[in-house]
Amino acid sequence: MTNGMKWILLIAELLTVGSALIVAINPNILYSAVFLLFSFLGIAVMYLFAGADFLAGVQVVVYVGGVTILILFAIMLTQWLYRLKLKDIGSKFVVPGVVLALGLVPFLHRGLTQLGKMVQAAPPEKMAEFAASPKTAMIGKALLTNYVLPFEAVTILLLGALVGAVWLARPKA
Amino acid sequence: MPVNSALFAQSLTQWTQGTWFASVPIWVWALVSALIIIYMLALPFGGIATYVERKIAADLQDRIGPNRVGPLGIFQFAADAIKMISKEDYVPPGGDRFLFNIAPVLVVVGSCAGFVALPLGQYLVAGDINIGVFYIMAITTIIAPGILLGSWASENKWSLLGGLRSAAQIVSYEIPVALSIVPIILISGSLQIGEIVKQQGWHDHFWNVFHNPFTFISFFILFVGGLAETNRIPFDLPEAESELVSGFNTEFSGMRFGLYALGEFVDVFVMCALVTSLYLGGWQIPFLELDKFWVTLPSGLIALIHVSFFLGKTFLLVFVVMWLRWTLPRLRVDQLMGLCWKGMVPVALFNILGTAIWMWAFKGQSMLQVVSGLFSGGGGSH
Amino acid sequence: MNLLDFSNSIEGYLLVSSILLTLGIFSVLTRKNAIGILLGVELILNAAGINFVAFSKFHSAAIDGQMVTLFIILIAAAEAAVALAIILRFYRLKQTIDADEASLLRN
Repeated sequence: MTNGMKWILLIAELLTVGSALIVAINPNILYSAVFLLFSFLGIAVMYLFAGADFLAGVQVVVYVGGVTILILFAIMLTQWLYRLKLKDIGSKFVVPGVVLALGLVPFLHRGLTQLGKMVQAAPPEKMAEFAASPKTAMIGKALLTNYVLPFEAVTILLLGALVGAVWLARPKA
Repeated sequence: MPVNSALFAQSLTQWTQGTWFASVPIWVWALVSALIIIYMLALPFGGIATYVERKIAADLQDRIGPNRVGPLGIFQFAADAIKMISKEDYVPPGGDRFLFNIAPVLVVVGSCAGFVALPLGQYLVAGDINIGVFYIMAITTIIAPGILLGSWASENKWSLLGGLRSAAQIVSYEIPVALSIVPIILISGSLQIGEIVKQQGWHDHFWNVFHNPFTFISFFILFVGGLAETNRIPFDLPEAESELVSGFNTEFSGMRFGLYALGEFVDVFVMCALVTSLYLGGWQIPFLELDKFWVTLPSGLIALIHVSFFLGKTFLLVFVVMWLRWTLPRLRVDQLMGLCWKGMVPVALFNILGTAIWMWAFKGQSMLQVVSGLFSGGGGSH
Repeated sequence: MNLLDFSNSIEGYLLVSSILLTLGIFSVLTRKNAIGILLGVELILNAAGINFVAFSKFHSAAIDGQMVTLFIILIAAAEAAVALAIILRFYRLKQTIDADEASLLRN
């Protein structure tokens, strides 16, 4: 990978983390939702660089095109539109939250890295070959062989969620 | 000869070896090509499209249309652009300045980024991404948040109503659009647009519209769904001039409005180009494969002819879009949603099933191949 | 190891995902707004997705990690749809989406 590509990845990671920070601490819920969108885009770029081209597409379609729009919609339908009852931070959990956040990052990162060291790392040439190969056909094959049971389960889940969401959001009888 | 842009890129690299071109880092090229796409393709197209749209509107309504600036008023778009740039930079006082600024940018980025994966000619594609179709589907979804946020930020109830309508419409119509791309993927076995177009040659299975009866239907679903996704009449409820003043862009003026208008036209172009590539054979010339028919023709000329065929088909579809604008009345909201969920989604699903059965029954041959197989002796396998 | 190489290593990916997870938990804990809590949950799910993709490339060089992320994304979409439907319903009931107000056991 050239240095320019690495710069793009670094910028994407910084975008992801920075936007996620704003999502967590901005008192205005609408801004949080907007920066969640940027965070999703950064994650999609990270997926691309990890050789997950199809997943990056799914990430953008589902999260940016679906979830973010739904969230923005829900915000606009449930807040007093221009009286801005949107500011909401400051419940009793703020201090424990900060402490937890400061303690958890090094702990998690160290633990995960150790876990990574316990598993054998892939040889670099195999890793590069994997990263460069197109994934769509591989994912399609996997969905209909090894992963056919979770695939079917997810289809039922999605149908259930669809019907359930419509039923929940129905107008008052 | 492998049909991919890698070959083109390789020859370009050999060409530039030893010159100062080779020492320029790749990201500079990426930036330059992005600027070229925006300034050489998107901006002039957006500008000229406004002129053409006004002329077509005038023709259909038996008027003259713009005729003051330049011969036949052809420089009207330049005058409009200058007017837009020189307008006051106005943000509604109660609105949200930050969101008001980024919303039009999201729309333009989302629509211009689609250009990357569109093959203009056999080797002329900025990046023949192997998830090409999916990429265009994905990147154009950024437009919807752009419209929604812009409408909210302008603190205007008409804007907000338009934005909410637009978001609901785009999210709903994405489903039939995506479903009517699936038959093409079944046929070509690839998401790469260059590969899909390549398979639609005259000696292969010709244009995908005529591949089988189901793709013929799904072509229309894709086109109509695309109209709805780009907020064009008869699906222009988000703008709905007679109900919502100007919809989501009511409060936008000057260049911010210009960005919205540009984004919409570019989106229309990308949508028409996508339909052309998937269903109408992209750069393929009907009934002819030029490089086999006339081997001695210089490749540059072939590329030029291919590009002009691609642009010709695309602009024909763009013309149809503009024509529909002055022909059809606007739908009601309930009709819009009914058409999508009760009409287009079931038919699109049926098309997928039908195409799958066709592929199984006729071993992947198109209608033309099946018919010509019947005539060329006993319908044997090829 | 400089910053550029760090960004392209498994440690870089894991650091991003740890930060996302903690920010997600933080936002679930501190938000009173039900939609804010949902935003936090989305961050947590994405952090998990990044982990799977990172291990899929750097450790197994196989498709399995990506498959899990694919299912995570699908489930997150279903979850968001149902959660927002519940929020809308709750709003219609109480005219607010403050999560602390959700204390009724029946209605």
